[in-house]
Amino acid sequence: MIRRISFVGAGVVIVMAAMVAFVGLFMLRQPGQLEGTTTKLHLETVAAIGQALEWPRPNDPHPDWVGYLPTTTWHVPANSTIQVQIDQEDGASGLRNPFWGKAFGIEGGTMHVSYFDDKGNPQEGDMTSIDPTTAAHTFAIPDLGVFVPLLGISDAAPPNSMNVITFSFKTKGPGVYRWQCFVPCAAGTLFGNGGPMSTIGYMGGTLIVT
Amino acid sequence: MGMFRIEEADRPHIVRLLIIWVILSAIGIVAVAQISYPPYDQSIQGQDQASTLKLLTVLATPVFIGVVMMTLYSAIYFRRTTTELVDGPPMLGNGPVQIAWVAISAILVLFLAVVGIATLSSENVAQAVGQPGRAIGQSGGQTGSGTAGGSGPELQVQVIAQQWYFTYRYADYGGVETTHLYLPVDRPVELHVTSLDIIHSFWAYQLGVKADANPGVDNIFHVTPQKTGSFQVRCAELCGLWHGHMADSSGQVVSQSDFDTWIAQQQADFDTISKAVPSYAPFYFPEPKLKAG
Repeated sequence: MIRRISFVGAGVVIVMAAMVAFVGLFMLRQPGQLEGTTTKLHLETVAAIGQALEWPRPNDPHPDWVGYLPTTTWHVPANSTIQVQIDQEDGASGLRNPFWGKAFGIEGGTMHVSYFDDKGNPQEGDMTSIDPTTAAHTFAIPDLGVFVPLLGISDAAPPNSMNVITFSFKTKGPGVYRWQCFVPCAAGTLFGNGGPMSTIGYMGGTLIVT
Repeated sequence: MGMFRIEEADRPHIVRLLIIWVILSAIGIVAVAQISYPPYDQSIQGQDQASTLKLLTVLATPVFIGVVMMTLYSAIYFRRTTTELVDGPPMLGNGPVQIAWVAISAILVLFLAVVGIATLSSENVAQAVGQPGRAIGQSGGQTGSGTAGGSGPELQVQVIAQQWYFTYRYADYGGVETTHLYLPVDRPVELHVTSLDIIHSFWAYQLGVKADANPGVDNIFHVTPQKTGSFQVRCAELCGLWHGHMADSSGQVVSQSDFDTWIAQQQADFDTISKAVPSYAPFYFPEPKLKAG
């Protein structure tokens, strides 16, 4: 009798433990556990010519390619606000589709830009769009509807200068979202879309939302 | 009629095969007729394509069942049962059978040809197939004429492919460019498919539209959405690193009033950048071809 009861008890314990483990794992996998948080994303866009000012890349096999630094794989929480700062060091090469000169999908519809004007004087202000011919790159996550043009550094800017672009956007549920640049900025390639535009790790990558 | 005589020994097989074939074909036809065929019915053209696909499948079902049935039946009933290697009975041909299969095949093929020609000549499909793309140099350019390619009551929508996203310009609404494709229900639409860089393919399968997007070419297709709801747009031409992500599930067929509200909002949202976007042109050229260093 005792033996049978022990078997039954053990069985119940095993089943309950399995249920607790299942529920626990399931809950751990639930999205949005960091809902409402704000995460900062600090990036640098480096020119094809010149050194990266903030994140040098001595081991990069293509040090003469434009790219986002320090990484192109970004981990952010789901359903949260992401504050982005991009230190933009590249000159303007212009958008093939001028439509991408408008910033949209970001909070307030505006980005704050610190830049240098045509005379090399520092300026700053909020912008909703830029002249498409002055774009150096874009920060775009199409599946989140986020498109932000990045103003190219003025030719008159002091050496080793950067434009600083800040804005915020909200993430959705967990998933892997691609991001890319929409400026055909790959120097020396057909239509400007080869090299760094067609290689993950430079002007494209993934936003991993967990 | 002696030539149609069936050997006594073969009659049980013939009867058995006919019964099996008729029963299985009836079941098969009923079954395949229940299937909902892509590209479904969100547009008149899509529904025509789905109907044609269903007709072809229904007609092919008895043929398919007949072939499979004969193969299996022969493997079971006419298999060699001994290990002894002997010649089978000589096959001298059978005129009636040959006449029958040639005649039935010819009737089927001719019937399908008539159906196909009639469908192609119908107004809906003729519109869907559209006109040949306007070649480079015929008109337009980066700062083109500013007018849409078509005329009449059709809504003019330009589909612009680029690595790696589709945008859309509405010629009838000041050439406003948008990131999603919205179409009003029950209104004919003329799609002008082009590309800003390399070869893409615009594929909205629920609408029954798949069109090459080539730089310098205005590829014209027609569609009449008949059912509200969302649809997918994706690129169907391998176009580089993010080809697999060149998709959008936010396409919408909406009522005319919802469309009017949406397009007015787009015009307001993109008013500032619309001034910087070139005039509406039938197509654009990817410039520069080679980026300077």
